[in-house]
Amino acid sequence: MKRYVFLLIAIVLAAIYLFPLYWMYVTALKSGSDIFRYPPAFWPAHPRLQLAQVFATYQVDRYVWNSFVVALGATFITVLLGTGAAYVLANVRHPIVTVALFAILMLQVLPPSLMVTPLFVAFNQLGLLEWPRFAVVLATAAKTLPFYIVLCRATFTQIPGELRDAALVDGNSRIGAFLHIVLPLARNGILVVSTLVFLQSFGEYVYSRSMIATKELQTATVGLSSFLGANSNDWVGLMTYASIYVTPILIVFVLLQRHIVSGLTAGALK
Amino acid sequence: MYQIEIDHLCKSYGAVKILKDISLNVEKGSFVTLIGPSGCGKSTLLRLVAGLEKITSGTVKIAGEVVNDRPPRERHVAMVFQSYALYPHMTVSKNLTYALRLRGRPKQEIDERAAATGQLLGLSDLLDRMPRDLSGGQRQRVAMGRAIVRDPQVFLFDEPLSNLDAALRVRMRSELRKLHQRLGATSLYVTHDQIEAMTMADTVVVLRDGVVEQVGAPLDLYHRPANRFVAGFIGSPAMNFVEGIVTEDGRGVVLSQARKQRLELPRPLQSGRKVWIGLRPEHMQLGGAGKKQKFDVQVDTVESTGSMTFIETKADPTSLIIAQSGTAQVAGGTTITVGINSEDIYLFDIKTELAV
Repeated sequence: MKRYVFLLIAIVLAAIYLFPLYWMYVTALKSGSDIFRYPPAFWPAHPRLQLAQVFATYQVDRYVWNSFVVALGATFITVLLGTGAAYVLANVRHPIVTVALFAILMLQVLPPSLMVTPLFVAFNQLGLLEWPRFAVVLATAAKTLPFYIVLCRATFTQIPGELRDAALVDGNSRIGAFLHIVLPLARNGILVVSTLVFLQSFGEYVYSRSMIATKELQTATVGLSSFLGANSNDWVGLMTYASIYVTPILIVFVLLQRHIVSGLTAGALK
Repeated sequence: MYQIEIDHLCKSYGAVKILKDISLNVEKGSFVTLIGPSGCGKSTLLRLVAGLEKITSGTVKIAGEVVNDRPPRERHVAMVFQSYALYPHMTVSKNLTYALRLRGRPKQEIDERAAATGQLLGLSDLLDRMPRDLSGGQRQRVAMGRAIVRDPQVFLFDEPLSNLDAALRVRMRSELRKLHQRLGATSLYVTHDQIEAMTMADTVVVLRDGVVEQVGAPLDLYHRPANRFVAGFIGSPAMNFVEGIVTEDGRGVVLSQARKQRLELPRPLQSGRKVWIGLRPEHMQLGGAGKKQKFDVQVDTVESTGSMTFIETKADPTSLIIAQSGTAQVAGGTTITVGINSEDIYLFDIKTELAV
C-alpha cells in the first residue's frame, strides 16, 4: 500500500516537472488562436506541425549547426585535456593532488555570467574574438573541464593499479599501459561523461551571447532568445524551434539514461 | 653466479622508511621466499626489483647489471600478482601472449608458445574465454602462464596463492614447486604464509619492519633461529617463551614460575644471566618418557583436532602451548609432567633477543 502511495507521489511530481516540456510540444502543434483560448486546451483541436515553415523562416539548421560545432569543439578539447589529467589525479599519491582537486572543484563554482566579462576582455586582447565560435569553444571547455576531470577520475580510480603494473612488467611503457590497458577499461565511463559534457555545451548560452556578434555564427540558444523581441510573438514558431532543438538531446538522454546514472555513481560507493 | 643482487637497498615514502638497508643475493635457479608480518616491506622489496617503485638508495642488479634506472620492461622479469591482474578485456590467449605481442614476435611463434603454455598449465580448452568466465584457480593459472610464456630471467610472485581457498592453495603450492623444478627459473616469492615459505623455498628470508632478520634454508630457520622474532615466527603453533635466570653453576636455568623449576642447559652459560627460554610446542612431550628433562605444569584448556592435541597451561606467569600428536587423555586443572630434550631448548638474550 505504502509503495503505491510513494509511486503516486513520484508520478505527480514527475508530471509537474515535465509539464513545461509537454506544453512546449503541444503549443508547437497548436494554431495561433488555439494558444490564447481560455480555458486552455490540453490537446489542440487540429494539430498541425509547421516544421518546414519554421526551418525556412528562422534558419534553424544554421543555428543548430553552430551549436553542434561549439559543443563538439568543447567536448573534443575537454576529453583531450581532461582524460590525461584525470588519470594522473587518480594515480599519483601526493598531498598536492588534494589541493589540485579542491582547486578544480572551485573552478566549477564560478558561474559563466561572472566569468564572461574578464574572459571577453582577455579574448579581445588576444584577438580571439576574430574567431568567435572558437572563443566560445575555449570558454565552454574551461567550464566543462573540471566537471569532466572529477567524474573521469572516479572512473580511473576504479581500475586496479595492478593491471597497469602488470602491463609495465609485461613490457609496456607508461603511456602504452595507459592506452592499451587502462583506457579500454575506462571507455564506458569516459563515453558517458563526454556525452554529458556535449549536452551541457550544446545548451550553452552566456558565452555565445556575449562573444558571438555575427548572427550567422550564433548558436541555437541565442537564436531562441531572439524570438522574444518587443514586437514579435510567434509562439508557435518559438515552440517548434525549441522542440527541434530539444528533441535530439532528449533522445540521447533516454538512450543513455541507464549508463549515465551508473556512470555518475561509479566510484561514489566503495 | 647470482641472478639478483640487492645491495644496501633503502626505500622511504617521505619520512616513512619502509626498507632499511637490505642486502640479499639470489642464486640463479633458486627459489627464495620473502616472509614477514604485514607491513614489513616484503611486497615493496618485490616491486623495487620489478621496477614498479623508485629506489631511494642502494642498488639492484639483475644478471650482473645495475637496473636501478631501468623501467620494468627492460628488466626481463615476469610478475604474478595477488589479484592476478588479468586484462579483463582480453581473452585468455591474448592475456598469455600480451608480452610477446608487445615485443613484436612473429605470429607463428606467439601461437606456438600460447598453445604450449596452455598445455603445460591445463588451459588448452580455455584459451578463447574471457577472464570473467574463469574460476579462481583457472585465473591463477592464467596469471602464472602469462609469466611463463615469456621465458623470463626472473619470476616475481606477490602472494599469488592467497586468494585461493585452502584446498586449492595446497594443490597449487605443489604444482608451483614442480613447475619451478621443471623450468629452473630464478624465483622471488612473497608470502605471509609460513607453510608456503617453508615448503616451497630453497632459501627463506624473514623480514620485519624493513630489516632482514635472518636468511637461511627452511629447516635452518626452524632449528637455528637467529633471534626471538624468527623463532616465534617460524613454526606453528608458535614457540613458547618463558623468562629464566642461569643458575650459579652455569649449567642450568631457573624458570620464572611460582615453582622455580630448573632445566639443564645444552651448554654452560654465565651464571645470573637473564634469558628467554624458547620451547617449541611439538618438542615437549606429555609424561616425559624418553626425554632428558622434566617439569610440571598445570593444564588449563585442551583442544583436540583428532590428529593433534593442543594443551594450554595455566598462566604462571606465561602460559605454554604443548602439541601432542594423536589424542591425549588430559583434563583441565590437573598437573602434568612434561619432558623435553636439552638440545631442544632455545635461549635468547633478554635484552637483544639474539640467540645465545
